This record gives sequence, C-alpha cells and structure tokens, in this order.
Amino acid sequence: MTVQFFWQVPTAGDGRYADAEKHIRGERADSRPYFLPGVTDPRGQRFNYFDHLHQIAKAVELAKFDGIKVRNDPEGDESWIVAGYLSRATRYLTVLAEFDASRGSAVYAAKNAVSYQRFTEGRFAWQIGVEPDEAKRRQQGDFVAQADLYPRVEEFVTVARNVITTTGYDFNGRFFQVLQGGFQGPLSGQKVPPVYLSGETDEAYALSAKLADVHVLDAQPLDKIASNIAQLRNLARSHHRALQIGLRVDVLVRETEEEAVFDAKRYAEQTGQKTIDNNVAGLWQGLTTASTGASAVLVGSFEQVTERLAAFADAGVEQFILGAVPSLEEAYRIGEYVLPSLRSLINGASQRAA
Amino acid sequence: MAIDVFWRIPTHGEPSSLRNKLHHRGDWSQQEGDHIVHKGLSGGHGDGFTNLDYIAEVARAAEISGFQGGLIPSFPMTDEPWAISSFLARETSTFRFMIAFQPGFLNPVVAARMTASLQRATRGRALFNVITGGGGPAQLWWGDVAPHDDRYARTTEFLDVLRGVWSGNSFSYQGKFYQVENAALPAQLLGQDFPEIYFSGSSDAALASASKHAEYYLSWLEPFDQLRDKFDRVKERTAALGRKIKCAVRVDIIARRTEEEAWREVRRGFENLDDAARERYKRFAQQTGDSVGASRQRSTAPKELNDYRDFIIHPNVWSGLSLLRGGQTQGIIGSYEQVAERLDDLVRLGADAFILASTPHLEEAYRVGEEVLPLVRGHDSAPALRAVG
Repeated sequence: MTVQFFWQVPTAGDGRYADAEKHIRGERADSRPYFLPGVTDPRGQRFNYFDHLHQIAKAVELAKFDGIKVRNDPEGDESWIVAGYLSRATRYLTVLAEFDASRGSAVYAAKNAVSYQRFTEGRFAWQIGVEPDEAKRRQQGDFVAQADLYPRVEEFVTVARNVITTTGYDFNGRFFQVLQGGFQGPLSGQKVPPVYLSGETDEAYALSAKLADVHVLDAQPLDKIASNIAQLRNLARSHHRALQIGLRVDVLVRETEEEAVFDAKRYAEQTGQKTIDNNVAGLWQGLTTASTGASAVLVGSFEQVTERLAAFADAGVEQFILGAVPSLEEAYRIGEYVLPSLRSLINGASQRAA
Repeated sequence: MAIDVFWRIPTHGEPSSLRNKLHHRGDWSQQEGDHIVHKGLSGGHGDGFTNLDYIAEVARAAEISGFQGGLIPSFPMTDEPWAISSFLARETSTFRFMIAFQPGFLNPVVAARMTASLQRATRGRALFNVITGGGGPAQLWWGDVAPHDDRYARTTEFLDVLRGVWSGNSFSYQGKFYQVENAALPAQLLGQDFPEIYFSGSSDAALASASKHAEYYLSWLEPFDQLRDKFDRVKERTAALGRKIKCAVRVDIIARRTEEEAWREVRRGFENLDDAARERYKRFAQQTGDSVGASRQRSTAPKELNDYRDFIIHPNVWSGLSLLRGGQTQGIIGSYEQVAERLDDLVRLGADAFILASTPHLEEAYRVGEEVLPLVRGHDSAPALRAVG
C-alpha cells in the first residue's frame, strides 16, 4: 500500500510565516493604495484570491504531493467551485472536496461528481462532513435534528453511489428519494468518488466502518491514534469490509527544532494561546490556526517531523492530509525537505516487513 | 439599451454537420467515430483530453467572436453546468457562464456561496437560467420530491434566500420550503454582483416568480405574432407588480453567404434523415396529448415528410429543426443579411437578448460572430420601423 499525501488549500484566507493574521493574498480589503505614493503598483484589480489558490495547486503538484484537499469552510470560498477551478489547473493530483450532506439533492451532487470525474479522468474524491453545532447548521439553512446527522450522511452516500453505478435505482429514505435513478450513456460507468468520512464519536466510527473508503482521524498522540485505528478496523471487519485510515495534521517544520519551536511559540503568543505544555513527541495539541481546522501541529526539524510522520504511517495511517501556513511556501518546503525522505523511510519499512 | 447576444454550449456533443450525424463530437452518440478526441492517441493510454476540452474550445470561440457568453444547459444525460463553469473559469476571459439549473436541487445558502465563489473565480461572469421543471417521475429521477403545484413557489423562495444572504447582513427566513437563521455570506465573498437571471416558464405561477426575481424572460422561438403577444403579456404582468423585465429569445440559426446555400444545408439534412427519425416524426404527428404547446406545434406541422419546404412557416423560419437534432423545432435560415434582419424583427417585437446556436457550435460561433452579428442593429432599428408604420 502506497501511502498518500494530500495538501489542504486554505479556502478562507492564508497567513504568512509565523504570523497569525489572516491574509487574502491577491486582493485588497479596500481601495487604498497598497504601496506608498513613491512606488507604482502595476496590479490594479487584476488579481484576487483565486489566483493565489491557483498558485497553491500548482505548487502542490510540483512538490509531488498526491492530492489536494479543499476544506468545506463556511467562512471561505465554496469547496466545489474551488475544486473545479483547481482541477483544471492540475494534471495528476487527486482533488478531494469536502462538503456537507445538507447541500441538496444527493442525485444532483452525484451527477456533478460524474462530470468532475469525466473532466479529471477519475481524480475526484469527496469528503462528507458533519456540522455538530446546531446554530451553525441553521445558518446554512439546515434544520436537521442532531440525531439525524449521520443517518443522513449514510443515505446520501448510499444514493450517490447507487445512481453512479446502477440504473433503474429506486430509494425512498427519510432524507433522499429517487425514482428510476442512475446515469446513462457517457455519464455511466464513472468511478464513484472515494468517500472520506471523519469524526471521533462512536456514531462516526460506526458509519465509517459501514461505508467509508477512508476515515480521516484528527491529529492526536501516536498511541491514541493506534488504538483508534484498531477500533475502526475491528468495526469494519464486523461488516466484512476494510477501510483506509487518514490523518489530518498541520506541520510546522524548520531546518532546526529550535527555529520551529521559536515560530510555534511566537504564533501561540500572537493568537493568545497559552504556552503549550501538553505537547508529546512534537505534537502540539491545541495550537491551531483559525483557517486550517486541524486539532494539532507537528513541530520540529525536518528529520524529527519526517520520523514522526513515518511512525504514524507505521501505526497504520495510509493517507496524510497535511496543512501549514503559508500554504504555498510550506507546500514547497514539505515537498522538498520532508516528502522525499519520508517516502523512502516508509517504503523501506514496508519492504522490510515484506 | 443595447442587446446582449449569447451563444450556447453543446453539452451533449454534436455532429460535425447537420447534413448527417456521423462524426459525432463527444461521446453521446455511442457509435463508431464518436468523440473528436481519440482515446489512446498516446500508445494505448488515455490521451489526457476529455469532452471538456472541446467545450473549452467552443467557449473560447464564443468569446473571441463577440458573444457575451453561453447558455450551458442541463439534461439528465449531460455534464453539469456548475462543474463546467468552475473548470473553465480561468481558461476564459470575457465568456459569461449562463448556468441552467433547477433551484430545488440545491440548498440556497450553499448555492449562494457557490455563486459568490464562482463570481470571484470568474470576476463576475456567472449568470443563471433558472428552470423550474415539471413534477412527477422526471423530477424524482433527479431526487426532487417537491409536489408539482408548489414548484414555482419554491423557486421564488430559493431566490428570496439567495438574495437575502447576499448582502452579508444577518438574514432569517421562514418559508414553506426553506428556513434559515442568521445566515450571511462570509466577508471574503461579499460585494460580488448578484447574477442576472434568465427565467423560463409560461404559467401564471411562473410569471409571478419571474416578475419578482428575473431580469430576463426567456422563450424559444415561436411564430412572431405569438411571441409578440407573449412578451407583451410578460412585460405587462411584471409592470403591474412594479418591476421591469426584459425578454430574450433562444433560437438556432443557419446562416450562409446566400439564402440558397443556407437552405441547402437544411435540404441535405432533410434528405439524409434515417428511418428512425422518420418513424419518430410519424408518431409525433399522429400523437394526441394534453400539452397545449405540443398540440399547437402539431396543428401547424405537416402530416408527412415530403419536402423540407413544407416546414417553412414564415420567411426564413423553418419548423423542422428537431428532425435534424434534439431540441426546439423552429429556427432561422437564410443569408447573413436575412438572419440579421429576422433578429432585428424579433428586437422590434420585444426581444432584448438572444441565445443563438448553430451546429457545429465551434465553427459556427466564428461564422455567426464574424458575419451575422456585425449586421444586427438591435434597438437602433426600432425608430425606423415606427416611422414606416
């Protein structure tokens, strides 16, 4: 099994090196000149944040990641639009778009997914998220009951998969209905986008065991991740299935540990986060940036972070969804200083095991 | 007020000519010679091209030849306009993406964020062709369960919510189909132009919805007098509600240097009709049904397929186009000058915009943009007509 590395693009704004302030690179908050009057500015209003997202996607591909993850962030640009825009900018990357099951008809979502598959020659994947906060759901026009969140995801995935793979499909569920569904002609026979699910509750695990291709875990210490993986695998076995394990973690990597820790601390100070005292093996839990949504950051030198990621791979993680700020610059840094040694470390380990 | 002219994107592929249907572009006709992109050009592997690459060519041809953009239709068997638009946002410069969709398929708050993001990705080039769709089994295929009679009310509610969250102020709504609480677009997405809305549908319920939210009322080509009445009715009804609405015509054209050459295209296509198409027509002509529009079409349609000229219902208007390809029956056939004149006739009877199409859409975008559009006078032609009578 080849381990895969995704890079998460920041849809709600990016940052700068060790700088907590959010920046929408490429566009201005107002019409005030950006340079002082003594310097001409040739840009005018020609660029906006999508130009930056495009740059990030190109960087991710050049840095030899396997895929790009587009987060569903209600504070940012919409993930399907960003995913389509970036799909056309890339040749090989898997494009993983996250969204919520409240987005509308499962058939219509599946039909759009088929077009994404046709246009990318099968590079599209989707992650169906769940918004646990009721007030936030209502802001999104979603009045579903708390207890129905995962049952709705289950129906969504069931309907979407079946209309892509079969014809004459009938389904009469609580959230989705379809009559004689299924795509024909050139829309038929497309690959179902791999289904990524996430969540740390028993309910989330149970659903993933039943129907996820990949379950994405939040970053936690290695032993906790190992036991979560065991739990998920056991549950999946009870359904006679296997699933892959993903890990969503941010990285803050510098040439030396000292530099990395310095930047991490400065970042924590800027955001008013307390000195981190619960970091284990370089995993700074709770050091989060508003725009990435990760639960922890791996902080350390190139070698340290490489080894720690390899340890997670050793514990069973097969898909890493990494993120860092600023996204473009750090994609190159990880691609140049971490991925090559990490890949050879993981491949070496798997060859020895074989 | 200058008129806007759009082109159309052939989402279900197309033959390379209306004369015959071989050499189909795209993978829809399921026959030998399908797809202009030959799979396996690069040593048995996929060549990395998809039908989107042809669509991109058409979109670029349309913008280069002076069209505003293009209607991207949505059918059960075709690729989706939202997907096409996001993929081609960066590849085009001025092309406006007219996205056809049924509001019932999307959560309006998500749709608002999609729309604002697409406006950002395209620098304001997105607009809508809002379709409300029928009820019953066809809607259920799409996974849409709303009852038939309520669908225009739902379209209105959808657009209420879309506009409501657009301002960025906290917006709440208690509709029959949609509820939101304190919703708003995020700051990053504010300040975009709200997309222009082209609206189709003829019933009173449709007009009520159109008159509240639409910029343009969109109709297929109909007999000219009938179209004039329809546009007058739409404009009156909308005015009664204190709003103005413009009208648009969606029509296929075949324009050539001479009228004779244009009709030759029609004649060749007519002579090359296969047995299946003839059989389909026979069934259509003998059909009885309760659709007013369809029976109106049948009443003027010839009973037999003898001569293409039997389908000429007005100077330069041919009502047999659906024999040659899917879609509406009436199209404008003639010399470049004649086609431009008929378009100006339509402007005089109330049209403010056109969505034109011709097969194949790539080459014809250049021809129509270079030869016909420069002859269209638009509203400048209106005073001259009034002076005459």
